[in-house]
Amino acid sequence: MVVLTYDNIVKSYGSTVALRGVSFDVEGGEIFGLLGPNGAGKSTLIRILMDIIRADSGQVRVFGEPRRRDHLDRMGYLPEERGLYTKLTVTDVMVYFGTLKGLSRTDARRRAAEWLERVELPHVASWKIERLSKGMSQKVQIASILLSDPELCVLDEPTTGLDPVNVRLVQTLLLERRRNGRTTILSTHQMNQVEALCDRIALINQGRLMEYGGVDEVRRRHSKHEVRVQTRGPLPQVAAVSTVIPEGERDWRLLLDNGVAPAEVLTALVHAGAAIDRFEPMLTPMEDIFLRVVREGQA
Amino acid sequence: MNRWRKVSVIATFEFLTAVKRPGYLIATFGMPVFMVLYAGVVAIPAYFATQSAKEPSVWGVVDTAGVLGLTDSVSVRPGLPEEVAKAIRMSGQEQAVQNAFMSENFVFKPMAAEAEARQATAAHTLKGYFVVPPDYLTGGLIDVYLQDATGIAFDDSRDAFADIIREQLTARVAAPGRDRILHPLKDARRFRVTRGGELSDGSDAAGIVKLVFPLVFMVLFLMSVLMTSGFLMQGTATEKENKVVEVLLASANPDEILWGKLAGLGGAGLLQIAVWLLILMVSGLGVVPMLLATDIKMPWAALAMAVPLFLVAFLFYGSLMLGTGSLGSNMREAQQLAMVWSLTAALPMIMMMALISAPHGTVARVMTLVPFSAAPLVIFRASTDAASLAWWEVVAGFSILVVSTWFAIRIGARLFRIGLVSASRPKLSEILKQARLRV
Repeated sequence: MVVLTYDNIVKSYGSTVALRGVSFDVEGGEIFGLLGPNGAGKSTLIRILMDIIRADSGQVRVFGEPRRRDHLDRMGYLPEERGLYTKLTVTDVMVYFGTLKGLSRTDARRRAAEWLERVELPHVASWKIERLSKGMSQKVQIASILLSDPELCVLDEPTTGLDPVNVRLVQTLLLERRRNGRTTILSTHQMNQVEALCDRIALINQGRLMEYGGVDEVRRRHSKHEVRVQTRGPLPQVAAVSTVIPEGERDWRLLLDNGVAPAEVLTALVHAGAAIDRFEPMLTPMEDIFLRVVREGQA
Repeated sequence: MNRWRKVSVIATFEFLTAVKRPGYLIATFGMPVFMVLYAGVVAIPAYFATQSAKEPSVWGVVDTAGVLGLTDSVSVRPGLPEEVAKAIRMSGQEQAVQNAFMSENFVFKPMAAEAEARQATAAHTLKGYFVVPPDYLTGGLIDVYLQDATGIAFDDSRDAFADIIREQLTARVAAPGRDRILHPLKDARRFRVTRGGELSDGSDAAGIVKLVFPLVFMVLFLMSVLMTSGFLMQGTATEKENKVVEVLLASANPDEILWGKLAGLGGAGLLQIAVWLLILMVSGLGVVPMLLATDIKMPWAALAMAVPLFLVAFLFYGSLMLGTGSLGSNMREAQQLAMVWSLTAALPMIMMMALISAPHGTVARVMTLVPFSAAPLVIFRASTDAASLAWWEVVAGFSILVVSTWFAIRIGARLFRIGLVSASRPKLSEILKQARLRV
């Protein structure tokens, strides 16, 4: 089920066009990567979704309906430039954000305590925000957003500045949300996270949608027709392979003819009597795709 | 989530955050303490002046004309006007007021010769002396000799000496006539005739109440607006600096945030003023019995309209200040931008003298229909002469204010949205563009 639709969104700031007719859907229960270089228009898209700014034209549909203000109660947002009320206690801030999303004070207080446990910070409940370290503050912010259990949540660079242990903790929370059928839009520049977490992505550059689809699908689209093979004996010659590059005694890199699927080559190798230990279609890393799209945009 | 519940969540949060601030607590409870201390500091020299005033101020009189016929020293103590004295007596504050305000006690001592008086003045046993020349009755000229350091006290002694002369000169006039010569307006009663031909109390005290009430209203209103705007500016600037605004805007719309802040921080500002007023009333100066004693008609019509007008005008200015102030990139800029509204709110006070001279003149009538000044002007005009304030002017002034407040909240919310998401002060073209879009 589609939970979010951007339909031909256009937005400009003065003479600068930020979005030039962007359209895509986000499915329910997925982790969706919103990618793009700085200034591509990601934050503008998110702010339009959260009704912080208005699009010049186009429509945003949320939960199957044109987006309304009351939808915001079912949504969460962690902005890239974020902060908390430094003079208040952690619990007071979390309870405030929770009650703004419709929780009762009692519920918000209970959930705040639970979430502080989950982010391994139960001891800071009564601390003033100004006393927290940067990493602690960031985890409190994530907990503040997630405590209302939003159906659709937008997290803009949620792991920036966190150590690897806490990055893993946040990833675990996101995967748990996916298991619970909650949708997360993850805006990040860390492509390893995209490959590890995201089901689908939209890559935006200069206000245009450049790539959109499943992560593997996008990677395949950008991959050269290439497979890595490990055999127990010699590699038989098969059709549809244009070049064979030995990479060791039993390792081979095969460049395929255009239009040939890796599965066809695997079948041909098996029929030719090859004893195959490993067969791996080569997918271009997301980082390479990102760089390529950005460079093409600049060119 | 219900819109008004969201407003209430924001208002509660803002109110509790504001009133728990040490700065707020210090200002709320520290200000009266400061005022008491300040009054104490001011009272110290006044106390010593009063103590010294209790010592009689002795003056010599050399009566060469023989018109006074003084044989012994005469003591004179000027009193308060009868109407004021009556009110003070009824309030039970006579002694306190006398101690605070009564003039010096003058003693006039007959001297045989000018040389003797001069010597006593030089020795500072006399403050000075009056010489009544032989041709005084025809010429009216009197010579006065003072110590080097007598200063302005001479004016009071001259008035007291004039009283002595008047009494002596009229000694042979029959009793009722003599009293009228000495006190021609001892017990004047004043009335005012309204446009409807009705009589009302025209005493000075009644006139003062008619002016004091709108003046108090204006001062309280101005204080509320200025203080609340301070809280609003501070809160908004903090949220911009802390980068909390986007999270806030993703949970509530600018209208709701604006209403919540106005209610919460406005409530904190009004609470502060209420505490001050309460402390002032508790520490009471017997004002109520004084008012009751003078049979003054309270401006009930103005009193009844004060609360709704105050609240609507407060919302009007608050939303404009919050919207304008949020365009600033920091606290200083925010205050500069909102300054224009502070000055506008102070306009009726600035123009007070012109308004007092013609409470129902053209200027006052126009200002009644202008939303920026409608509230204080309706109160002022209803206090001074309710009969001269047409009902349609009240209705029109209030309606214009309500409609303007609705627009002010809408405009304030739009400016607020633009201001909150702009890191630097937005350009006018961007403000206009965003203002065209719905909130």
